[in-house]
Amino acid sequence: MTYLLEAKDLRKQYADKLALRGLNLQIEAGEVFCLLGQNGAGKSTTINLFLGFIEPTAGAAYLNGLEVAANSLKIKQYLAYIPENVMLYPHLTGLENLALFSSLAGFSYKESELLAYLDQAGLPAEAVRRRVGTYSKGMRQKVGIAIAVAKHAKVLLLDEPTSGLDPKASNEFSELLRQLSQQGTAVFMATHDIFRAKEVGTRVGIMREGELVDVRPTAALNANELEQLYLTYMQ
Amino acid sequence: MKIFWILVQYEWRHFRAAKGLVVLTGLVLLVGLYGIYYGTTELARQRQHLAELPALARHNVEELKTKFPEPADAGEIGYYHTTFAVHHPLPWAGLSLGQRDVNPYYVKLRLLGLQGQLYAAENVNPTKMLSGNFDLAFVLVYLFPLLIIALCFNLLSSEREQGILPLLLAQPVSAGVVVGAKLTFRVGLVLGLAWLLSAVAMGWARVPLDGRVGLWLALVTVYCLFWFGVAFIVTAWQRPSAFNAVALVGVWLLLLVLVPGLLNVYVAAKRPVPQGIELTVKQREQIHGGWDKPKAETMNRFFALYPQWRDTATIKERFVWRWYYAFQHLGDQSVQPLAAAYSTGLRQRYELVETLNWLSPAINVQTSLNALAGSDLPTHLAFQQSVVRYHDALRAYYYPFLFNKTPFAHADYAREPTHTFTSTSETPTAVQGLWKLLLSTGVVGTVGLLLFRARPIQPR
Repeated sequence: MTYLLEAKDLRKQYADKLALRGLNLQIEAGEVFCLLGQNGAGKSTTINLFLGFIEPTAGAAYLNGLEVAANSLKIKQYLAYIPENVMLYPHLTGLENLALFSSLAGFSYKESELLAYLDQAGLPAEAVRRRVGTYSKGMRQKVGIAIAVAKHAKVLLLDEPTSGLDPKASNEFSELLRQLSQQGTAVFMATHDIFRAKEVGTRVGIMREGELVDVRPTAALNANELEQLYLTYMQ
Repeated sequence: MKIFWILVQYEWRHFRAAKGLVVLTGLVLLVGLYGIYYGTTELARQRQHLAELPALARHNVEELKTKFPEPADAGEIGYYHTTFAVHHPLPWAGLSLGQRDVNPYYVKLRLLGLQGQLYAAENVNPTKMLSGNFDLAFVLVYLFPLLIIALCFNLLSSEREQGILPLLLAQPVSAGVVVGAKLTFRVGLVLGLAWLLSAVAMGWARVPLDGRVGLWLALVTVYCLFWFGVAFIVTAWQRPSAFNAVALVGVWLLLLVLVPGLLNVYVAAKRPVPQGIELTVKQREQIHGGWDKPKAETMNRFFALYPQWRDTATIKERFVWRWYYAFQHLGDQSVQPLAAAYSTGLRQRYELVETLNWLSPAINVQTSLNALAGSDLPTHLAFQQSVVRYHDALRAYYYPFLFNKTPFAHADYAREPTHTFTSTSETPTAVQGLWKLLLSTGVVGTVGLLLFRARPIQPR
């Protein structure tokens, strides 16, 4: 079976730190995998390896069946990425930023379509033609979400995507993720937010010091149990 | 390819948003236009001076005709008669004045000893000379690299520092394409500006449309590409913008200030040249000493050089012009080795700089542009040689009058030799400079590419 996202004994050693210790993971289409862990646990390193931004010390990351390190450009056709802090060109409007990143992804949308994506991401209509330099972090995050959705990617890599979003926007984002997963998108989300992980995730993994110490289906746990489990590993 | 051009289009929008860069680019355009104005105005001033010289010469002849209404001793005429050796510029000199401000572009001549006249030039404000020419070549050689630095110091580091790079490189676009598009836009902008200024200057200076137009544009283009190559190396190094700016300004200082300064010191030490003033003083001492030497001794030395006049009458008078011109001539002869050493030394210095100018593409391109414009040292030395030949021709014209004691009639003024010299482009020098520049650019481009491949772009 071809997984949309797969890690095989994936390791990353920095000069003074082993950031990832042989990660093995498979994520199927329609699955939302939430990775929990403290700062420095290896969540961002895992995402960077799937993005091809860094090369593994050993093992391999696969995206849509392609080894990331050997196909670093091709795999980007299949993935969308929302970082913790979406930064955009400040002198362009939200609409222009979306147009730019969509065209780089190979899509040529009409303005009405771009506006629909921004609306779907929750960006207020009055903001779409304003320079991004005037946006709050949450508004930039929403443009980032619109960029990711407009890419129609098979895999969505999210690094603390709801950081900076207000509760309502976070809730809308969770709903959006559910819709995308129902359409067959595989979602990999690194987060500190246990509640959000329980809410949108189909599986949840706990990472500690570069090691995936536990993976559970979210259906088997309620939020409190998940929290207890997480705290147990973090002690 | 489509993505590449999308990025180029957006670079234009990024550029428009960066008001400081827009102002800087506009400033360079204005400064370039001023450079063109300065160069062409200075050349027009020189041309106007040259155009006034025939009238001055005619006026001098009219004065002599009044002073000597009847046929007169040619010695008197030769003493008072002034003529000019003129160095006409090429229109190209308006773009690159080169040494036309330092070296005299005309020489006022009489039949007297040549060497004292050859190095006499008009008084010029030395402070103005120190600041040099603000012509288009200066703008292109010195200021365009600064524009390139301003455009490129944060070529990719800007996106990294703003945090945009991770999102950008998460798209199916390689870092090479991103950098390529950014460089393409900037190369287009800078070359567009350089070509526009060059075209305006060529039109203003009315240069003939021949192969030199292509050679000028090629030199300017490859020189700009060299600086883009340097910026590419720094970009590939992936350091912060502040580091990049300091590194690039450091390279600018190295190649445009330090290396030329050191090269100047080295060349002066390696190829010492006798001072022109030393030559002039020695010649004057020799000439003034001629008054006190026995006439027979002077004339015998002169006849050794001009045996054809040996049979002319022995000088018994206290003063005769042919004796006077003989010791003037011998004064020139006495400093001939110094004069030859001076001009050879200058040429050797020039050749040494030519050999070593690969150390600084700025020196190379400046030398090449001057060679193309006919405003370089070899052209000036060629002019000086033509002045020597002209003075010889004047002597050859006057000596029969002097030694045959033939009176100099009014009609003889019109038969007097005249001088004209027009610069020629030293095209081979400019072509050689272009090859060296291509080599330098190839080296920095290759180093940049190797570095870029060896160090994958880090989005964070």
